[in-house]
Amino acid sequence: MDHMVDLSWGSSRHVLGGLALLAGAALSGCYSGAPARESEGDAASATDSASDSASASASASASGTGGDTDTAGDTDGGAAAALPDTSRFPRLSHRQWENSIRDLFLLGQVTGKSDLFIGDPISGGYDNNSEKLVVSATLWTDYQRAAEEIAEQAVNDPGIMAAIVPAIDGDSTAKASAFIESFGRRVYRRPLTPEEVTRHLEVFQAGVGIGGDDDPFNSGIRIVIQTFLQSPHFLYRVELSDQLDGERIPLSGWELASKLSYMLWDTMPDEPLFAAAEAGELDTLAGIEAEAKRMLADPRAREMIASFHYQTLHVEHYTKINKDAVKFPEFQESMRDMMIAETMTFVEDVVFESGGGLTELLTAPYSFVNKTLAPLYGLDPAAFTDELEATELDPSQRAGVLTHLGFLAANSSNIENDPIHRGVYLNLQILCTGLPPPPDVVPPPPPPMEGETLRERIDRHTGKGTCGEACHGTLINPLGFAFESFDPLGRWQTMDAGKPVDVTGEFYFNLTGATKFDGAVQLADLIAESEEAHRCYVGHLLEYGFARTQQLADRDMIAEIAERSRLDDLPITEIILELTKSDAFRFRAPVEG
Amino acid sequence: MPIIRPKLSRRAFITGIGGAVVALPFLESLLPRGKEARAAAERPRFAVFVRQANGVAQADGDEPERFWPSALGPVTYESLTTTDSDRAVAELADFADKLLMVRGTRFAFPGNGCGHSGGGNQCLTAAKVSDMPSGNLSLAMGESVDNRIATALNPASNPDPLTLYSGRMAGYINEVLSYRGPKDLRAADRNPWSVYTKMVGINQLPEEIAARITARRMSVNDLVREQMQSLMSSPDLSMADRDRLQIHFDAIRDVEVELLCELPGADELAAMEAQQDYSGADELMQTITKMQMNLIALAFACDYTRAATLQIGDGNDSTQYTIDGEKLPRYHQISHRIYSDGSEGDPIPDAQGKHHVIDREHAKMFRHLLERLSMYTTDEGTLLDDSVAIWCNDLGAGVSHTYKNVPWVCAGSCGGFLKTGQYIDAGNVTHNKFHNTILSAVGLTNGQGEYVDDFGDPELEPGVIPEMIA
Repeated sequence: MDHMVDLSWGSSRHVLGGLALLAGAALSGCYSGAPARESEGDAASATDSASDSASASASASASGTGGDTDTAGDTDGGAAAALPDTSRFPRLSHRQWENSIRDLFLLGQVTGKSDLFIGDPISGGYDNNSEKLVVSATLWTDYQRAAEEIAEQAVNDPGIMAAIVPAIDGDSTAKASAFIESFGRRVYRRPLTPEEVTRHLEVFQAGVGIGGDDDPFNSGIRIVIQTFLQSPHFLYRVELSDQLDGERIPLSGWELASKLSYMLWDTMPDEPLFAAAEAGELDTLAGIEAEAKRMLADPRAREMIASFHYQTLHVEHYTKINKDAVKFPEFQESMRDMMIAETMTFVEDVVFESGGGLTELLTAPYSFVNKTLAPLYGLDPAAFTDELEATELDPSQRAGVLTHLGFLAANSSNIENDPIHRGVYLNLQILCTGLPPPPDVVPPPPPPMEGETLRERIDRHTGKGTCGEACHGTLINPLGFAFESFDPLGRWQTMDAGKPVDVTGEFYFNLTGATKFDGAVQLADLIAESEEAHRCYVGHLLEYGFARTQQLADRDMIAEIAERSRLDDLPITEIILELTKSDAFRFRAPVEG
Repeated sequence: MPIIRPKLSRRAFITGIGGAVVALPFLESLLPRGKEARAAAERPRFAVFVRQANGVAQADGDEPERFWPSALGPVTYESLTTTDSDRAVAELADFADKLLMVRGTRFAFPGNGCGHSGGGNQCLTAAKVSDMPSGNLSLAMGESVDNRIATALNPASNPDPLTLYSGRMAGYINEVLSYRGPKDLRAADRNPWSVYTKMVGINQLPEEIAARITARRMSVNDLVREQMQSLMSSPDLSMADRDRLQIHFDAIRDVEVELLCELPGADELAAMEAQQDYSGADELMQTITKMQMNLIALAFACDYTRAATLQIGDGNDSTQYTIDGEKLPRYHQISHRIYSDGSEGDPIPDAQGKHHVIDREHAKMFRHLLERLSMYTTDEGTLLDDSVAIWCNDLGAGVSHTYKNVPWVCAGSCGGFLKTGQYIDAGNVTHNKFHNTILSAVGLTNGQGEYVDDFGDPELEPGVIPEMIA
């Protein structure tokens, strides 16, 4: 069940260029002097978090001209590019389950029942990665209990019953059939076959016989709801289509409707989307585009954008921000939530209010500040309230989300900056360089020397001339050191250990080769202009949107969209739209063998 | 998550569009009823693994010994309360005659870029660490010992081990212990209320209501199985999809485990219910850990499962423990002895001393489990005597993150199989031999009726640790 494919930029860079920078990198890692592995059991790691990455798999190769983009608006499968192998049964994430229950029963809010579900051990990637989501025995019990509770509550709530059971004339069997057809269409996200209706009706009759409710009809409805909510056709986004069109299988309109709604809204389709599927409108690119645009303008798309960036930017780590009370008496625990809100408000503003792209996310010199956070930005708190408000920041100091307080404070220890982890994060999550894991044995750090800056100390331990040179000297440390003009709380600083901070560096980018920079703002601009960052970001969006990891067959499409993102500053909503129009969205590959 | 999500009471209410609120007879169903004793002849054996992270404060490099007893050999209440009172295991003095402490085992394989993940992968599997994924995402390449026990010995109605967790899941390394097979990590349940309600199920409902629920479940399961079989019969199905659907199909059960035991009192239930929104707060670590331990003891007493794991803290446990009123620095940083999760940072004053304090706290929590297992009596002793409870770690020591001398502190003789009241050195053997011994203790054999000798990676030297056996 493991589809992970190493598509890392690191690999392609070894092939494509910049080899001089990586000279000495051993196959098992960048370290030139450390033993690759210990054969006996004393395998240890003093830098056990250096490979902190939600997804080390990354972006596409430098080649590619866009592949088969099928812009004609038809479903002609001729001369199509190879499609990635994908699951026909992606399980709903717990968030998608909650939202679907809310919408199925027309509730005003989610039930919260999934908070008691057992979690999913994803081991990297996003929380909706279909390759990792299974229905274990424990989760099956969770689903069963939730289905029984919801059914119990539904049949005892006249409001819900009136909303989900069609008001038709006829006997209880006729009413039950109407319910199974109408409610079943929404649960399974497609019309039920006559055979399915008949089989569910048998279950209804069994429920009537079992009884337990004042009204026998309710006993039947109860058991049908229980069945629906435990059915694989509800718990998975099932792709039943199996008819080849050339060398690929087009998904049905109903399947595309579900794929759209779970990608853009994390929930089931609404009635207009069902209607579009029923009318065959999703059989064309234009139809898909029209629905996707409508959905991206809906508030539910904001939840998708928030969830994606929360995971990509590792905002969860902000909840662990803590600072030494002696060194940083200004720190308050309440700042954690404010920093989270700052980042998430900024992301929402860039994507939906500004219609911005990745470049704006990485370089825009503004953020959302309140009176508590204002001093950390060197601003007068008296000019602010408790509410976060859009605020221009000094463009010589701040550029985009990586210079905001949350990222800087979360990637610091309690007492000092952590340029190594800042550099690792940028490599893995922003540039997708695919760093190899650190070696199991790392020499102990040297003791701090009097008057030594943090940069000097880390350079002495991992920089050029040390066994960590290959990764740290050229990839990790230069990016991390660019942020030494901020302190562990994210405040601007100019001095360290009595010396002016040194934020200069050099990094190898595909398009510009070894490129020098001076500070985080210049680095942010370089990153925003780089091929790597745009491919990395589009790749992340694909992984989240398609609920799976990337495969080789995705790379041309990623490269094509990323190039438009880089050159045309494609808005993030447009990137998403392009993904929904891709062959990888509309078709699936037949299973070989 | 940043998404605003209004909370409803989860006990069992939905406020629908009609505004009606309906309560289930759910809580009532979870209250205690009668107790039936298990006959001696039917008494099974149990194993539970309680895992602490980040190694222990034992002799390592320049650091002194503060964990193990000062001498190998017999362990007594007197030795632990006098000569060895400064050692972490002294907290277990009340159970001295039931203890079996094993030093001198090591994990055989290197990690893959992350000492914690590699240790967690190997701890209960004795298997290699995956090449891909790597680093903190690495996985074990084999089945875990709890899975082996549960598969072989559990009631057919519940083939899974109980897999529990306490503390935060920060996303870096979460659960690490229980594996169905290579790279097939089992999720751990960290909410005691959810665990309890799942365990009890409909056992305590009035017979008439329970019968109706069971009848409904049978009808539902019949149709769901038909649907699953239809999907699984598709010729156009990848191996991954087939495996995934098979796990789901196998999970569908018509009958629940019949619990023959006394359930907790209303106070304990209310305490668990009050924590149903628990999301890993550091301050609740000891409280939740003890609740999970209560549930493990209950699960054994009810013969709900024969094997359980409890992981305390995430892969590199960063909990800020509050002990005797003092809130300590993050445990992972203490284990590094510096204010950093990496290799650079200011030293934490008396870091090994703080690590020792945390070791003692884990010993106290483990003692709670032993006390709970001892509460359940049999005609020959207590449930602890029929079990082996194991306090383990996925590293040997803190600062070096060594895989050598990984500590195993066992309690309970597992029906007289294990030789307790002693502290032994296994002689730097690979830890598959420890697990072979435990598997043999719970009653498994190697197929020829002899001790289990094949657990873990096939490259490893087979065999048990004879000194552990009575």
